[in-house]
Amino acid sequence: MTAKKNTINFGKAFEELEEITEWFDSEENLDLDKGLKQFERGLELAGELKKKLAEVENKVQEIKEKFDA
Amino acid sequence: MDSNVYSVSGYLDLVNDTLQMIPSSEVVIEGEVSDFRIAQQKWISFDLKDEKEQAVLKCFMTVWQLKVEVADGMRVQVKGQPKIYERFGTFKMNVQELSPVGEGALRQAYELLKKKLQGEGLFDASRKRSLERFPERIGLITSRDAAAFGDFVRILNNRWGGLVVHHAHVHVQGRQAVQEITGAFGYFNTLPEEERPDVLVLTRGGGGLEDLHAFNDESVARAIYASQIPVVVGVGHERDESLADFVADVRASTPSNAAERVVPSRTDVLYELQTMTRHMEERLQDRVNGYGQVIEKVTHLVSFVLERQKERFRSGYERLLVSSHDWLPQIRTDLENLGRVLRQVDPQRVLARGYSIVTTGGVVVKDAGSLDVGQEITVQFAAGSAEAEIKRKNGHGQQKLV
Repeated sequence: MTAKKNTINFGKAFEELEEITEWFDSEENLDLDKGLKQFERGLELAGELKKKLAEVENKVQEIKEKFDA
Repeated sequence: MDSNVYSVSGYLDLVNDTLQMIPSSEVVIEGEVSDFRIAQQKWISFDLKDEKEQAVLKCFMTVWQLKVEVADGMRVQVKGQPKIYERFGTFKMNVQELSPVGEGALRQAYELLKKKLQGEGLFDASRKRSLERFPERIGLITSRDAAAFGDFVRILNNRWGGLVVHHAHVHVQGRQAVQEITGAFGYFNTLPEEERPDVLVLTRGGGGLEDLHAFNDESVARAIYASQIPVVVGVGHERDESLADFVADVRASTPSNAAERVVPSRTDVLYELQTMTRHMEERLQDRVNGYGQVIEKVTHLVSFVLERQKERFRSGYERLLVSSHDWLPQIRTDLENLGRVLRQVDPQRVLARGYSIVTTGGVVVKDAGSLDVGQEITVQFAAGSAEAEIKRKNGHGQQKLV
């Protein structure tokens, strides 16, 4: 029942993307160089997340144990 | 054959006629209300039960006949007419009068337990944990045969993918239900940390207080309370609250709603992703535009200055062209005139007329007084020149030897 952890952790990646988006808002005069780098990273994350969103299947595994104990 | 042969409806008529013989106005039935429902705000149905014996009387009445507030678990007395409904073949009591008899024992027990658990802080909002927004593993505790199971999985699939659902099959009602449910909670919570689900879901369809007994059981409530993994409880309809609902970290109204509470929807998240990337892009674009505007301003200024210089040069050149048009021929005439004058005063031409020019030491002699006797002079003719010596000037000097 150990599910293989996915290559990216959706929650973590999403959080990082949110942080980057917030960074864009918090910078009054954002540095163009850093902005471009952040933007690039943001796009990369969004791409990976979208890829994960395309996953449609869920696995349902019935547990063998009996619970009447 | 002596027996009468009846059609089904004919027979049911006979039975109903026989039932009519019960002196209904004198018969009072006492029991506990369960599975109380109002359909279309008009039709009321409920079960009347005995506390100890397993006996159920299906009751039917209209809202207009009901004079008091009735809830599941209430102990009531009813009067009415029993009847078999031909269409469904069901036996029902058409209730004409209903009066409460104190609080139903079940309800009473329920309320007492509820109060006790509340006092212990099992329902406190402050201990409710929030769920992981993007769970990867879900522990599902329900019966594989229940509609709740299908509903939950179906909505889950509609909304989100890539999940692993660990399903603990348990009875959600009946004698084994409590033990199995608490057993499942124990199982999930004793898994090694890395194998534990992100959230546990305990769900079933709705039902009367009787059906929900496991969800109102003290040990189930305590198992939910003790769970280290956040718990979502979703029971059929909201109208049947259960103690499990109150203890749960998140209370869902139905099994489908439980799925909605557990995972986000793809479309929502996709929209959020798009909004975020667009926002970043806009912010960056703003910044680039900011730089661009400065650059544009500077280039505009520079080209403006350049243009003005060019313009000045061009107009100067043009003015030159235009005016030279006027004065060039003039100059030409002037030059020609000058040439004529110059030609007239050309000493050569004067000499040609017979004049001579006298110079001494390269200087033209205009006054005889400036000459000395004996001084050498040069006489320039129209053709050729001659050297001479001054013998006399203005009547003075060496006498003419005549």
